Amino acid sequence: MSAILLIVIPLLAAFLSILVKKYSANILLVVSFASVVLLNYIPLEVITIGGFAAPYGINLILDQYSLIALYAVNVLFFLVVAINCAKFKKLSSILLVALAGLNGMILTGDLFNLFVFMEVSGIAAYLMTTTNQKPLATFNYLVQGTVGSSLYLLGLILLYAMFGTLNMQDMAFQISSSGYHIAVTAFPFLLMFIGFGVEAKLLPFNSWVQGILGSSNRLTGPMIASVYAAAIGFVLGRLLTELFVFEGTLLLIVTAILGFSIVAGEAMAFGAKKVREILLFSSIAQAALVALVFLSGFTGLAALLLIANTAGKLILFLITNTATDQLGNDDISTLQGLFVNNKVVGVSFTVAVLNVLGLPMFFGFVLKMNILLEFFQTDHLLWPAVILIVSVVEGIYFIRLLLKLWFKESDLPQVEFEFTLKYVVVVVAALLILFGVYTAPVEQAADDLTAIQYIEGGNL
Amino acid sequence: MKNFLALALSLFIGFLIIMSLRNNVAFPEYGTVNVASRVSQAYLDRDVTENPGTVIFGESVNLESGPANTVTAIVADYRSFDTLGEVTVLFVSSLGVALLLGTKKQKRLEVDFHPNFMLRVGSRALFGIILMTGIYVAIHGHLTPGGGFPGGAMIASSMLLLYLANDSFRAKIKGFKILESAAGSAYILIGLIGLLVGGYFLQNVLDNGTLGSLFSAGFIPIIYVLIGLKVGSEISGVIDNFLTEEGV
Repeated sequence: MSAILLIVIPLLAAFLSILVKKYSANILLVVSFASVVLLNYIPLEVITIGGFAAPYGINLILDQYSLIALYAVNVLFFLVVAINCAKFKKLSSILLVALAGLNGMILTGDLFNLFVFMEVSGIAAYLMTTTNQKPLATFNYLVQGTVGSSLYLLGLILLYAMFGTLNMQDMAFQISSSGYHIAVTAFPFLLMFIGFGVEAKLLPFNSWVQGILGSSNRLTGPMIASVYAAAIGFVLGRLLTELFVFEGTLLLIVTAILGFSIVAGEAMAFGAKKVREILLFSSIAQAALVALVFLSGFTGLAALLLIANTAGKLILFLITNTATDQLGNDDISTLQGLFVNNKVVGVSFTVAVLNVLGLPMFFGFVLKMNILLEFFQTDHLLWPAVILIVSVVEGIYFIRLLLKLWFKESDLPQVEFEFTLKYVVVVVAALLILFGVYTAPVEQAADDLTAIQYIEGGNL
Repeated sequence: MKNFLALALSLFIGFLIIMSLRNNVAFPEYGTVNVASRVSQAYLDRDVTENPGTVIFGESVNLESGPANTVTAIVADYRSFDTLGEVTVLFVSSLGVALLLGTKKQKRLEVDFHPNFMLRVGSRALFGIILMTGIYVAIHGHLTPGGGFPGGAMIASSMLLLYLANDSFRAKIKGFKILESAAGSAYILIGLIGLLVGGYFLQNVLDNGTLGSLFSAGFIPIIYVLIGLKVGSEISGVIDNFLTEEGV
């Protein structure tokens, strides 16, 4: 079993599915489940494609890091698809291509190949968001995403002109052995970082997010906020830790972007009046926080924090968007009292929120705790302060939201949650509690991930 | 105001590009790159996996990569996986056009344009020539400039001609779908054959033959023909979607 199958099987299924449209939803369900199963049978290795070793050919890197990323993305993808595939049959082929693209993005060890898979999964995402029925927002997303990936490409072209290679490992090696001052690569790195910033929802490159997630449905909300966010986060993490060298002024610019995203995201979430807006602004802040932790070198913790956040967002967006579909809008006043008659769903929602807040007993707590400890050990006091302050802000608006959703005397909103959805949110919520209490494997995984150093160069 | 800001931002980015690359020791001036120290030299010498000595057109036999056209060697052999990705980009784009514009029952878009008899007949004659040129370019992609993507675009342009020159013409779209699906699947199956026989996905396990002859380069011409068919049928489908509307 080779990891290449994770890209090739969904792609082959996509090509075939356009002939048997009737069964395309079933094909999608089977293939996305098969990818999760397949993950258990592939060995950790560097996979050469076409028989030409890197840097001449393209290679895929399946290490501990990409394996955990693949698990997160494929499981989340399968859950989203399992809940939605019957209703969005028309999108089946596109979703298959999206799965191939996301897996390719995570696996590839080649910077141009990464661009190709970014385009593949990006176009699939633009098409998915057409189901929001907000063409202008989708067009906005399309334009911004395309400009972003063009900037990435421009940065890569400059790097190729300088070092004559496209392979990540070779690029990092060439850069570190060239002996040039770091300033020479600052501009291409900045372009590539901004290109990723668009997809990774970093301010100020993320004005598409409000239009897309603010009017998302049950498919696009969890898909963009959870599955895509996980994949992009992991790829950005790899580039930040293993390729990009940010020092001096450039480091200041990048940190400023991330810090601004965290603070502004939380501030906007605090002021938001609609449930989906609260969620989307808080996910902007979390994406930036994850990137910041990656940038600080705590790879393992950042990866796990990313998983905790995106798994939580899956629950939050699934529940919110189901309720919004049935009630017509997502004003807090409309959804008030939603959980009075839906206790199971309400408890899962609450668990996800508390996990995002990082309260004790939840997965998010273990991670935030360790991140703060790591920061303290390196004598960085600014970031722990920022993290703690925004946690308080987060706490205020999330608890305020929970109180509204749980308590109302009369005139309760009527929302039906089907069994599959309940099952999914309960299981994910249970896992978030499990890893919050049983912390040993989490800390072990964080240590293992930090220890991996396949590629020379980078920030670490 | 918005336009002014956009202009200012563009100028600022332009300024940044110039400032960061001017006098940048790592960024070589045009024409001064030492190619010998880069991956591109190995593509020219075909010596990634073996040392074939001097590569001579019409004489070298069974090189590691068989196309006489070096661009094709890179695009469809050394970096064939990227090409599979690019094929997918076009595939998902055409799916998107069908998703947004496609309806169950379609008829030609009503336009106030009725081509005369001469135009319709003349375009049929031209159709064949353009189609053949497209196929020729795709088949000879491993020898001459061109290949599957431009060849496929030419094939599609011959369909576009028929659509433009005849206001009641509709191609058999179902056939295009089958062709598109079969060509894409065949590309992946060739890759899987490489994985099973040679051990690497997309490895060219056929004989590469003599550099420069039509029957050379193993799987490459086959892949390029498949890409030509796929690109041609996809763009034809896109054209059909754009020139039809709902109705009986």
